[in-house]
Amino acid sequence: MTMTNRVIEEFKAEFKSVDITEAPYEKQGYHLSIEARTGNLLNIIDFLDKREFYIVDLFCVDYQDYLELVYFFNTHRELCRIKVTLKLDPVKPVAPTISNIYTIARWYEREVHEFFGVYFEGHPNLTYLFLHEEIGHYPLRKQHVPVPDGDKKLLNSFRPHEEENSFFINLGPQHPSTHGVLRVVLKMDGEYLISAEPVLGYLHRMHEKMAENKSYMQFLPNPARMDYPGALLFNLAYVEAVEKLCGIEVPERAKYIRTITCELNRIASHLLWLGAFPADLGALTPFMYAFDDRENILDILEDVTGSRLTYCYFRFGGLYNDINEETFIDATKRFIERMRERLVMYDKLITGNVIFINRVKNIGILEQGQAKKYGFSGPVIRSTGIPFDMRKVEPYAAYGSIDFEIPTGHIGDNMDRYMVRMKEIEISLNIIEEGIKRLPSGPFKTEKVPKKLKPPKGDIYNAVESTRGETGVYIVSDESDTPYRMRWRVPSYSNLMTFPHLSRGVLIADAIATLGSYDIVVPEIDR
Amino acid sequence: MCDTIINIVNIVGKEVVRTVIGLVGVFIVVLGNAIMLTWTERKVAGHIQRRIGPKEVGPFGLLQSFADSVKLLGKELLTPANVEKPLYFLAPTLIFVPVLVTFVVIPFDGFLQVKDINTGILVILAFSSLTVLSILIGGWGSDNKYSLIGAVRSVAQNIAYEIPLLLALLPVILMANSFSLRDIAEAQRGAWFVVYQPIAFLIFFVASVAETNRTPFDLPEAESELVAGFHTEYSGMRFSLFFLAEYTNMFIVSAIAVTFFLGGYQGPILPGVVWFFIKTYLLVFVLLWFRWTFPRVRFDQLLNFSWKILIPVSFLNLLVTGGILKL
Repeated sequence: MTMTNRVIEEFKAEFKSVDITEAPYEKQGYHLSIEARTGNLLNIIDFLDKREFYIVDLFCVDYQDYLELVYFFNTHRELCRIKVTLKLDPVKPVAPTISNIYTIARWYEREVHEFFGVYFEGHPNLTYLFLHEEIGHYPLRKQHVPVPDGDKKLLNSFRPHEEENSFFINLGPQHPSTHGVLRVVLKMDGEYLISAEPVLGYLHRMHEKMAENKSYMQFLPNPARMDYPGALLFNLAYVEAVEKLCGIEVPERAKYIRTITCELNRIASHLLWLGAFPADLGALTPFMYAFDDRENILDILEDVTGSRLTYCYFRFGGLYNDINEETFIDATKRFIERMRERLVMYDKLITGNVIFINRVKNIGILEQGQAKKYGFSGPVIRSTGIPFDMRKVEPYAAYGSIDFEIPTGHIGDNMDRYMVRMKEIEISLNIIEEGIKRLPSGPFKTEKVPKKLKPPKGDIYNAVESTRGETGVYIVSDESDTPYRMRWRVPSYSNLMTFPHLSRGVLIADAIATLGSYDIVVPEIDR
Repeated sequence: MCDTIINIVNIVGKEVVRTVIGLVGVFIVVLGNAIMLTWTERKVAGHIQRRIGPKEVGPFGLLQSFADSVKLLGKELLTPANVEKPLYFLAPTLIFVPVLVTFVVIPFDGFLQVKDINTGILVILAFSSLTVLSILIGGWGSDNKYSLIGAVRSVAQNIAYEIPLLLALLPVILMANSFSLRDIAEAQRGAWFVVYQPIAFLIFFVASVAETNRTPFDLPEAESELVAGFHTEYSGMRFSLFFLAEYTNMFIVSAIAVTFFLGGYQGPILPGVVWFFIKTYLLVFVLLWFRWTFPRVRFDQLLNFSWKILIPVSFLNLLVTGGILKL
C-alpha cells in the first residue's frame, strides 16, 4: 500500500466530517488535498505531525471573496504531498497558529501576516519579517487594504533591549561573512552568543507580486535573480511548473541538456560556497582556487546560454537554443577531467587541514528529528543522514533515467555539511558524464508552444532540488495570461531558520562557521 | 665641511653621533621594510593563489606600495562621533614606539648595531609588550563593539603567548650566557642554536606568529568575525600606521629568531648583513606562507594551545637545558 492510500485510510478513520480528495498528481504536483476549517485545523496538523510529515510551505492566496491559507506537507521517506487549505474571511482574517508544532511556521506566518493581514492567534512574535515599517497596506492583497493604526506597533521589526551582563552586536547587514545583506542581531555575553535573531528583508524585491503583473514569458528572467549562484535550477523549477500547468511536452534532448547544464550550475554554486566557507574560517586562498575552477563552468555555460551568472536558458517546451555538439561537449569533458584532479587537491588543502577539522567537527549539530520541525532540505538535511533529494524523490528532467547516489552525513555537523557538498560535486560530475553519453539527438524544443500562454484554471506545485535544497514554485492560474498568484518555496529560508537554534550558547566564531556551512543566499530568502 | 662635522662629533661625543646616525638608519630600514613587505605579501599571496599580484606600477609592480602610501596619505582622516579622542589618536602613534626601540638592539652585522645593550633581549621583550597596550587603547577608544572584542582578544592572546616566547628564549640565553644579542649571535660561530634547541625554535616561532597577530592566530582582527577587529574605525594614515607596525613586527620577530637560533649575521662568503637579511626574509616568507594557507583557529583553541601545550613543553625544555648545562 502506498503512502497516499495509507494516509487516506487513516485520515478517514480519524476525521469523519472532513473531506480528503485525491488530486491529479500529474497535473497539480500534489497527491491529496484537505479542506480544513478553523475549528479542526490544529487537529489535522497534529495528525500530520504524528505521521512524520514536514511542512513544505505555508502561504496565502487572495481569491477576493475569501482568503485561502495553503499548507503543503510532505514526508522525507516517501513522496506524499498534501495540500491543506483553510478559508478565511477577508475582512477580519484570523487563523490559529501552528508555530508551536512546526517551528518554521513562525516565519511563514509572519510573512503571511505582513503580506495579507492575516492574524495568527497565539503566535509568539507576529511582527513584520521582510517589509519596511512604513508600508501602509498589505501588498499581496488584490484590493487596497490599509494597515489598521493599532497595528503600527507590530511593524517595528527588531529593537533590542540592553540588559546587564550582555550586549548586542549587529552582524550585518554589511558584514564580510553574511554573504550578502543578511542582518543577524546577536545577543552576546563576552565571546558567547546568548541568542541570535536574523532580520530579513534587506534584499526584498517582491518577486511574487511582480509575477502577478507579468505574463508567463516575461517572468522567465526573474527566478534567476532569486538564487544567483544556482540560476538555472530556479529557472528549471519555474519552466517545469508552467509546462505541467499547460500540458506542454518537452523533447528528450532538451531534458538531457537541462540536466547537464543544471548539474554544471550546481557545481559552480558549490564551488562558490567552497570558496566562501573557508574564507569564513579565515583561509582566503581556497576562494581563489574555487573561483578559478568556477570560471571554467561559467565559460561553458556562457557558450550555450549567453550569460555568465543569471542564466535564462530554458523555455517552455525546451531550450533557448541547442548546444554546440563539438565545443560544448569537448569543453565539458575537459572540465570533468580537470575538476576530478582538483578535488584531490582540495582534499589535501582543506579537508585534511588540522585547524580546519578542529574548527568544523562537532560544531553546529543538527539532529534528524529537527528536520520535520524546521523543514530544512538540501545538503543540510542530507548531512543529518536523511537521504532526501528531490532528484530522487520526484525525478524531473532526465534524472529518472540516470543512476546516481545521494551522499549523506552522519551527525549533521559542519564537517558533514562540508563533506556532503564535496561529494555532491563528484556525483554531479558523474551525472554530467552519464548525461553526455546518453544525449539523444532530435529537436531541442517543442514547436507548438504559443507565444502567449493562457493555462487552464487550476494550480500546480512543482519542486526541484536546487543547490541549497527543495525549491518549489506554486502557481494559481485563472486562465489569463498572467499568473493569479505565484509562490516560491525557497530552501535557504528554512535552512536559515535553524540558525537561532544552533547558535545558542556557542562562540561567535562557531556561529559564523555554522552560518557559512549553510550556504545561504540572501536574495533567495528575501525574494 | 669635513672639519665642521669632526668638530660636532668631538663636541657631542662619538656615542651620540653613532646613535643618531643609527636611529636615522633604523627609520629608513623600518619604512623600507614595510614598503618592501607589503609588496612581497601581495606578490606572494598572488602567486600562492595562482594570480600575478601587483604588476602595473613600476617594474614588477615594485612601486605599488609607494602609490598606495600616497593614496593613504591623501585620504580623509575620519574620526567617528563618539570616540575617546585622546585614546583614539594616541593608539596608532604609540604602536610605533616599541617597533622603533626594538630595532636599536638588533645586530644586523658584527659592527652594524645602533647600540649593544647588555640586556638587549629584555629591552625587546619589555617594549614589545607595549604593542598590546596600544591595541587595547585603540580598541577601547574606538567606541565600537567589534573593536573592543578585538582588543580584548588581543590582550588575552598576548599574555598567553609572551610566556612561551620568553621561555623559548631562555635556554638560548643560558647557553650563550648573555642577554646581549650580539653575544648570542657571536656564540653561534660553531653551530647554530637551532641544532641544540629545535623545540625552543619551534615554540618561539609559533608564539611569535601569535604575537604578531598573523593567520592562523589573527584573532584580534579576524575579518570574518570582527570585520577588522581593533582597527575597524581607523582610516587613512592612522590605519596604515597599524599596518606598518604589523609588517615591522613581522620583521622584528623574524630577526630575533634569526639572531637566537639561526646564527644571526653569521654565514660564509657574503657579508654578515646580507646573510642577516636573507635569513630574516626567509622566515618572513614562512609567515606569509602560513597566512595564505591556514584557516584561523578558534579563540579557546588558541589559548588552550598556549597554556596546555606550549608553556609546559617550553618549561620542560628549559629544565632539560639547564640540567645538561649544569652537568
